Amino acid sequence: MTGTLIRIALRNLLAHKVKTTVVGGILILGTIMLLLGVSALTSMDRAMSQSLTASISGHLQVSMADAKDKFVLFPSLIDGTEIGEVSDFPKVRKALESLPQVEAVIPQGFDYGMVFGGNLMDVKLAKLRKTHDDIAKPGGQGAYIATRDHVRRIVELLSEDLKNLEAITDEKSRGQETVQGINDVRHAAQPEFWRDFDAQFDARLNFLENKVAVMAIGEDFLFIRYMGTDTARFRKHFHRFEMLEGKPTPPGKRGIMLNHFAYEEFFKHKTARRLDKMKERIEEGYTIADDDQLQDWQRKNVKQYKEIIWQLDAPSAAKVRAVLIEAVGDQKAPDLGSATPHPTSATQAEAAAKAKPAVADKVPQTQEQKVRAEMVRLVSTFFDMNDTSFSDRYALFYKEIAPRIRLYRAKIGDVLTVRGEGAGGYAKSTNMKIYGVFQFRGLEKSILAGAVNIIDMMSFRDLYGFMTADKVKELAEMQKAVGVKDIARDEAEDAFFGGGDDEPSTNDEAGTDDALLGEAAGDAVDPANAATAAVAGAGKTGDAGFDEFADVDMKQGAQRWSDSLLNRVYTEKEIDTGVVRNAAIILAPGADEDDTKAAIEQRVKADKLGVQVLNWRKASGMLGDFVSVIYIVLLVAILGVFGVALFIINNSMVLATIERTREIGTLRAIGMQRRHVLWMFIVESLVLGIVFGVVGSLVGGAIVQWVGSVGIPSGGNTTVIFLFGGPRLFPTLAAWHVGIAMVMVALVTTASTVYPALLATRVTPLEAMQEAEG
Amino acid sequence: MSTPSRDAIVRLSGVQKIYKLGKVEVPALKGIDLEINAGDFAVIAGPSGSGKTTLLNLIGCVDVATTGTVMVDGHDTGTLSESALTRLRLEHLGFIFQSFNLVAVLDAFDNVEFPLLLQGKLNKAERRERVEDIMASVGLTDYMHHRPNELSGGQRQRVAVARALVTKPRIVMADEPTANLDSQTGHQIIDLMKKLNQEEGTTFIFSTHDPKVMSQADRSIELIDGLVASSEVADDGRLDTPQTALV
Repeated sequence: MTGTLIRIALRNLLAHKVKTTVVGGILILGTIMLLLGVSALTSMDRAMSQSLTASISGHLQVSMADAKDKFVLFPSLIDGTEIGEVSDFPKVRKALESLPQVEAVIPQGFDYGMVFGGNLMDVKLAKLRKTHDDIAKPGGQGAYIATRDHVRRIVELLSEDLKNLEAITDEKSRGQETVQGINDVRHAAQPEFWRDFDAQFDARLNFLENKVAVMAIGEDFLFIRYMGTDTARFRKHFHRFEMLEGKPTPPGKRGIMLNHFAYEEFFKHKTARRLDKMKERIEEGYTIADDDQLQDWQRKNVKQYKEIIWQLDAPSAAKVRAVLIEAVGDQKAPDLGSATPHPTSATQAEAAAKAKPAVADKVPQTQEQKVRAEMVRLVSTFFDMNDTSFSDRYALFYKEIAPRIRLYRAKIGDVLTVRGEGAGGYAKSTNMKIYGVFQFRGLEKSILAGAVNIIDMMSFRDLYGFMTADKVKELAEMQKAVGVKDIARDEAEDAFFGGGDDEPSTNDEAGTDDALLGEAAGDAVDPANAATAAVAGAGKTGDAGFDEFADVDMKQGAQRWSDSLLNRVYTEKEIDTGVVRNAAIILAPGADEDDTKAAIEQRVKADKLGVQVLNWRKASGMLGDFVSVIYIVLLVAILGVFGVALFIINNSMVLATIERTREIGTLRAIGMQRRHVLWMFIVESLVLGIVFGVVGSLVGGAIVQWVGSVGIPSGGNTTVIFLFGGPRLFPTLAAWHVGIAMVMVALVTTASTVYPALLATRVTPLEAMQEAEG
Repeated sequence: MSTPSRDAIVRLSGVQKIYKLGKVEVPALKGIDLEINAGDFAVIAGPSGSGKTTLLNLIGCVDVATTGTVMVDGHDTGTLSESALTRLRLEHLGFIFQSFNLVAVLDAFDNVEFPLLLQGKLNKAERRERVEDIMASVGLTDYMHHRPNELSGGQRQRVAVARALVTKPRIVMADEPTANLDSQTGHQIIDLMKKLNQEEGTTFIFSTHDPKVMSQADRSIELIDGLVASSEVADDGRLDTPQTALV
């Protein structure tokens, strides 16, 4: 009987071609959407899962159970960060690693910190001191003079810059310190300051270091996000980690590995970075002529000519000048005034316009100023690129200009001074050597994952503000050395730079005077030179604490202390003991996430470990939610399509029922029961659903296969890249996707048949008889 | 009015059928007493609106009387559920419709087989044999796999006759089976029905306007205005051709 009903259904489909085409089209469309959506989302989820779990989060995260806030990998502004500290990490690790499903438990801690140092002025002043000390060496005289003149150029540029500041702000809005600072810079820019500079070298340098450099604070600090971890074990268990440059932080040592994304984004010379971004965007098919973003970067490059000019010492400036004259010739300089983006008020715009002549059109008074004005014209003209000139000038920039400027504010081998926010109690600075640059494979361009730099656990604890054994000892050393008995808590961080050192220095270059004079942005991976950047940077933080120790020869002591820390190798026990905010759990191959979570929770309960377990999805907070949100959006869209399908199928079936009243009545008359009529309609809807579900699945499957081979482009959006686990998403089709699609289609067609089928059961056999009347 | 007979297969007594059209009650049958014997080739005649179709519907178990009793093959249709009535139609009755009412998307074979499928008594081979036999007896062996729209009107009605008879019902109801056929074809159909009536002993009850058809009947019931005007039994099994046209 069912066989005949199926035959009736199939033939009815063929008999009503228009209806079948419309309904079938909608069902096919719905099936394709469903398949594409589900497979894309599953793949997205898997991509994200793989890239996140193998780069940052691990499969599961443990953190303190009774903490105020829950652990969130990428906290949004509303997420609290008071997640507490795991009270006894070694115990937790031992207990959890004894479970067969757990491969490793890696200690972690996420936080933000400020990076100091790398300020151009500081670096150049350090170089000035070194060249002055080396003045007797062959060629020393020339190096000293070149450096001195470069510093002078910087001071003069700074002075002009501050004139602009004065022009656009009124006196009242400038604080007392700023007024004093502006006066100091103006003083240092006077020819008188430089006339007897060599004779008064120490005093003048001191003035520059302590009074002038602070005013050049523009690019002085930046925020970085870091994750403290056991770097050796982290590398072993997080497979998406890969070194790009340098080497990983050696096991047990203090140090930082910079994320390539963060390094490019935050550490690279801003003009160079903007050029890189422009190149990428132009390669994506945008043009400077039409694209606002490109024009914005372009404007900034033109306006920020100082980013280049400041960095050029006299010989470099001469070379760059020659190159630029050849490149841009006597082209007219771009109108810097009109390049001012969106002045907030007419007054400001006016003020800016007034200020402009001070920079560009000032009547040159000396030959030197004339040359400088020409340089401003050349550089800003050079960066006023269009779609035709871009690629040549981009290449020229990297060939001629980039080698003569500091392309990155810190290099591999430098020592970075980072100040923690001090979540654990008080803000704290620490020095870390930059060992290398890494990336998380698949998350290369993700702004979220790409911002995470990796530091060692000991440094993390320093920054977090908890008193580690090292810190206690350090304080004691400092007190002994400077003769201070009591150091107030808020001074303690600044007191970092005092003290002697009992531990033998393992670095043969460290601790020598030469080391002090190394240029931070030295060429080689040279810990001794590198250490100086830290000192210079630390000097920048100098507030009251610094001055108090001004007379003590702290720098040497700090240097030795710093070196001793930087060279110390910590045992795994030391790494594990102390503050651990959270820990990532890597599952053994094949272990199920949910099962393992349950097993861990059981163990946590049995051993009273006091920690809570989150899966990576929960731990990734907003992002984990984001996928759920996309799921819901997709579901709504698909429900929409199927809703329409339901409506249309329902209507056409109702019409069909009316059309087929006679036939149904006949069948009822010859003995068909009502339930058979119902069954007949359901069979028809199932046949409809199966036929078009299969066709839709075939077409949709083919589309998914195709999309899976070419990939869905992320469009360069960093969040999308993160979700895609790379620049493109390659969805794959699983059998259950087709299963879901078929079930969905069957449900929809059946649901849409219920009403017409019920109508059909109400057709009486009389309908077949009412010939004469009808 | 006929007297009760022992082998009456259909027996109506005091049957009224009143249709309600809104608040208006329209009596279609006003009190019918009637018996039809097994094996009769009975014709129900009468002008339009006289209640022919209503009477056929009651006998065919597709409708029930407002008052009175309708006994079909021993079943009081007034006491049966909808489902039981359907069962009764399936097992004991066959239907031939004025417009053939075949399932358009099924071929002749499938149409004829359908009641057997509904009955679910025979296996596939038995069904096939049964269908082929009946198709042979209506002369459509060569047309078994033609769809209705590939057949002529007469062929379609023969399929319908085959469908009505395939379950070997006790009674076959036919409402103006020749109305949509030309007269020659109509007579062929009537001849066919008559042949089956004689060979199988199946009771045929049909309505018609066609005097030639009526002449074939051995039982004639004339309805006028919801009442039986005359009920004749031909002595020789044949009614005289009525002199007065009933149309």
